[in-house]
Amino acid sequence: MSARPAVLVVEDNATLRRLLEYRLGKRFDVRSAMHGEHALQLIEQEPPDLIVSDIMMPHMDGFALLAALRSDARFQAIPFIFLTAKNDDLSRQKGLRKGVDDYLTKPFDIDHLIGRVDQIVQRSQLYQTKLNSRIGRDFSDKLLPRQMPVVDGWRATFFTQPKEDGGGDLFDWAPAGDGAYLITVGDIMGKGLQAKFYAFSFLSYIRSTIHAMLHSTVSPAALMKRVNEMLINDQVLEETFASLLLMRWEPANNRVIYTNAGHCRPILVGPTTAGMVEQSDLILGLDPTTEYTDYALEVPPDHALLCYTDGLNEQVARTGRMFGEAGVAEAARQAQMEDQPIKSLLSWMLQRSQNPKFEDDVLVFWLQRMAATAAKAA
Amino acid sequence: MSFTIQKTSSSAVVIRVGKALDFRNAAEFKAACQEHARQGVRYFVLDFSGTGILDSTGLGVIFSLYRQLTPGGGQVVFASVSRPVQVVVQLTRTYKVFRQFPTVDAAIQAQHAAQAPRPTGTA
Repeated sequence: MSARPAVLVVEDNATLRRLLEYRLGKRFDVRSAMHGEHALQLIEQEPPDLIVSDIMMPHMDGFALLAALRSDARFQAIPFIFLTAKNDDLSRQKGLRKGVDDYLTKPFDIDHLIGRVDQIVQRSQLYQTKLNSRIGRDFSDKLLPRQMPVVDGWRATFFTQPKEDGGGDLFDWAPAGDGAYLITVGDIMGKGLQAKFYAFSFLSYIRSTIHAMLHSTVSPAALMKRVNEMLINDQVLEETFASLLLMRWEPANNRVIYTNAGHCRPILVGPTTAGMVEQSDLILGLDPTTEYTDYALEVPPDHALLCYTDGLNEQVARTGRMFGEAGVAEAARQAQMEDQPIKSLLSWMLQRSQNPKFEDDVLVFWLQRMAATAAKAA
Repeated sequence: MSFTIQKTSSSAVVIRVGKALDFRNAAEFKAACQEHARQGVRYFVLDFSGTGILDSTGLGVIFSLYRQLTPGGGQVVFASVSRPVQVVVQLTRTYKVFRQFPTVDAAIQAQHAAQAPRPTGTA
């Protein structure tokens, strides 16, 4: 958002580096690095809007730097100009093949360089919005599992519809031994690409925590406490807050052991009733000393546990007010007997919404224990 | 922007949040809070009377402020919490962290009360 575009100069020659800092500094916010490795560190701290790089440098040369950036979704869109003494056609062709935006050879005209930087930054800003949404979609895809666990007598279904400008909803499941499954439903606070990227990193945390602790504990609350501590101490994800449901689904015992860190409360939906699962603890990322509690929930036959993210309860109904938990519960009760409960639930809500579409990300997990007879037949 | 900030002492401000604190004005809100924190404000009263919208981005900046202040003994408290805000606070269980007062005056008095027993003999 800064008015002056940020340019990173990568050049091992100190005199030339200073000249570039000085001349480019009149138009742009300039930082400089002595070689590729140094540049990567600076880019990690704060990605620039454009990079002007030499090719021949110690430690990591310009080609290696370019390759490292192009293979990283966060940095692959940063425009890149080579400024080099290598004026042979082979190097030039190699540079252009690797996708540099320009290839200028020394000696060079500084005004020409400034003009090119200007042009490229303007053009890339135009494309930035488009690119953001594409990367966002990519993250959204990777955040979600391709399939669901299949268990006799149960129906586990899941639906998501991420928005390009939406937030960081996440969902995951993993086998947890003894025929049980660990299910994760959460939401990283914030909007846009950053929230999606954070959700992506955060999910890796959760996965590794679960993986590391599964042999020593069956308690979702113990996992939650650990995830909270990690989130608070992490340097990259600073100021990240997340609501999270961790559930250990034990089909054989017809129950779910769950812990809730400030996430939308699940709803237990029966043939005629729909009630909130009340117990919940503090949202993640606020207080490292927070204790989380495990709660056991019996799922009777013909009942379903509905978990969702705030795109559902914050949807505005035709009354002008948000549906809220009560509205979602009512929709769930209507949908409970349908063949495709999630689809029915969503269309019930949309029929009563101000907007014909959902305004935010939608994520719904529906875990239903079938009626006793159906279970036996299966 | 719908919020306004009023300094009530060298260490306290009252922020009337206004109609909405959401992704549209959250960055501005955060910058303003940080500026006051830098100037030594340690007691933030957030007045939520008439606030209809508090989304997760808005809540996020309040959390950031809380994380920034607590190591130095600072506080963020809520006053005149509207119904929509109360719903969010209930959902996230953050009433465990942010003290709530029925009015702004009550929130300010609570700070004075907390500060009352000052150690003697220091300037």
